Amino acid sequence: MMEGAKSSPKRGGFQFKVRGPRDFYGGLALIALAIIAILATGELPGQHGFAFGPGTAPRMFATLLAIVGAIVALGGLFFDGPPIEAFAIRGPAYVLVAILVFAGMIRGIDLRMIGIPYTIPSLGLVVSTFAAFIISIMGSTEMKWVESLIAAVAMTAFCIGLFVYLLQLPFQLWPAF
Amino acid sequence: MTDLLANLALGFQVAAHPYNLGFCLLGALVGTLVGVLPGIGTVATVAMLLPITFGLPPVGALIMLAGIYYGAQYGGSTTSILVNIPGEATSVVTCLDGHQMARQGRAGAALSISAIGSFFAGCVSTVLVAALGAPLTSLALLFGPAEYFSLMLLGLIFAVVLAKGSVLKSVAMVLTGLLLSMVGSDLETGAGRMTFDIAELSDGIGFTNVAMGLFGFAEIIRNLEMSQESREIVQSKIKGLMPTRQDLIDSSGAIARGTILGSILGILPGGGAVVASFAAYTFEKRISKNPERFGRGAIQGVAAPESANNAAAQTSFIPLLTLGIPPNAVMALMVGAMTIHGIVPGPQVMTKQPELFWGMIASMWLGNLMLVIINLPLVGVWVTLLRVPYRLLYPSIIVFCCIGIYSINNSPTDVVIAAIFGLFGYWLVKHDFEPAPLVLAFVLGPLMEENLRRAMLIARGDATVFMTRPISAGLILVALFMLVLAMLPMMRKRREEVFVESEN
Repeated sequence: MMEGAKSSPKRGGFQFKVRGPRDFYGGLALIALAIIAILATGELPGQHGFAFGPGTAPRMFATLLAIVGAIVALGGLFFDGPPIEAFAIRGPAYVLVAILVFAGMIRGIDLRMIGIPYTIPSLGLVVSTFAAFIISIMGSTEMKWVESLIAAVAMTAFCIGLFVYLLQLPFQLWPAF
Repeated sequence: MTDLLANLALGFQVAAHPYNLGFCLLGALVGTLVGVLPGIGTVATVAMLLPITFGLPPVGALIMLAGIYYGAQYGGSTTSILVNIPGEATSVVTCLDGHQMARQGRAGAALSISAIGSFFAGCVSTVLVAALGAPLTSLALLFGPAEYFSLMLLGLIFAVVLAKGSVLKSVAMVLTGLLLSMVGSDLETGAGRMTFDIAELSDGIGFTNVAMGLFGFAEIIRNLEMSQESREIVQSKIKGLMPTRQDLIDSSGAIARGTILGSILGILPGGGAVVASFAAYTFEKRISKNPERFGRGAIQGVAAPESANNAAAQTSFIPLLTLGIPPNAVMALMVGAMTIHGIVPGPQVMTKQPELFWGMIASMWLGNLMLVIINLPLVGVWVTLLRVPYRLLYPSIIVFCCIGIYSINNSPTDVVIAAIFGLFGYWLVKHDFEPAPLVLAFVLGPLMEENLRRAMLIARGDATVFMTRPISAGLILVALFMLVLAMLPMMRKRREEVFVESEN
């Protein structure tokens, strides 16, 4: 994301300062989103006669989004606003990894498509839940191992009791080798 | 009138079925739990529990989900008063005077007044939902595609006007939501739109994934940033749950005004319980003879917002059940719950499934009765729950969300999409964008596009159709008026004032 740029003055002839970086970069990102949408729907047929084509509405809203995004960005350029708060890395990273690990382990995933020569086998609900719990709890700065392990076992048991036995949803419980 | 009574009788018959009574109690309990625990919002909870309602009968499922929403309004006040931490966004203002009352040793009175106010509001709004149901449903039958489109536009504008922060940025969020809702196959031609050739996207982005990402995961990530300050719980034994006669006299007016204000704001699209509680508090302070008492333990400052948020939580079911249009994010999730069970929200629910419609309404009243019992005598139990540290709570929420999302379609991709929306939500917060208008637009998007296309087709491409049909023109004019009003400098200041008040 663009936060790296921050609002440092540009080198060069004139002093350039973004007054409201939250709005400025936020608006720019929305414009980028709108452009992606317009490009992605570029090949869809638009209006013919008085009937909308599949591409009409998305392009319409994307154009509007680009306009509003531009106004927000301009507002950020000329009016004072608070600086962007620092993005935390640790918490989000652990949470994200925990979720991705769950998604990868529950049914197994072939990692070769992203260039890692390894295939995660289908590990089932018990292992995935336990792993996701432990990884996400590591994101906290106050983590204690004993307590965490007990909580992970308890939560795994609770989820299995609820989803598999009480609600009878079809889950694979144990690793399939 | 006899119709109404007969219908309510049918409703109570359905709601009093032991099975449904159980679901109602379960919903009320879960709602109170969520309300008490800070860091878990109602939207995230309802999203989390959607998959669970799969296997349940539709009436029971909806009764339970509804119970969570208004139950959270009760639970939220408990922590606000005793701990000075709002368990729910709707109880933020209750902290101001509620906690002061607790410090002065009047926690019992504050708790009971908020429960009494909520219960009164719950009773009134239940009757209101029942009474307005039939006339609004017949109004809905007059609606064509043009009117539906204009109505949804009005809803989105309300969401923008009532959202916190910049109007322009909320508009941007609405447009982002509309755009995201168009990912997937086109309704008429089946052409893939913005799918980037990813097979999982051809059905569109699932609403639960978006909601859980933006409200569940993003909130957790944000909470992890803040230091886990120790919670100062009012330790002394809570005594004297019964309010004095003077308390009742002092708060009766505030309760009545809060109920009225809350009911109106709940019906309006984009409104809902959060705005209702802010508005009720501000209003009460303004008309008070001695406004300086507010913030120092004025009982009206507890009674008004607590009545208002509960009234709003319930009346927001009116547009959903009669017009099929969700007025806020929680109701949008209810649409999801209804669709899972094959029910199309809208005017036909009342005529085709009267037992569902009236059963739900009757259950609201029963649920409110249960909540008074759950909350007052058992208040100690709920406070103990606050001792569960957040570091154990959030991993539990994460795994619960993961399993829930996965179970909807047995799709690991859905889990990944939710994670992406979690990061997106975190980014939005850092840039002061509100996720609520986005979510509402995301739900209304497909409906809006469908009606827009149909209206244009019927009018043979004539875009003035929205202004020549009277109902549609009226709705659009109201929408424009609201938008202009919110942009005016004077009103802008007023809006900020209302929201600033809530933050101190």
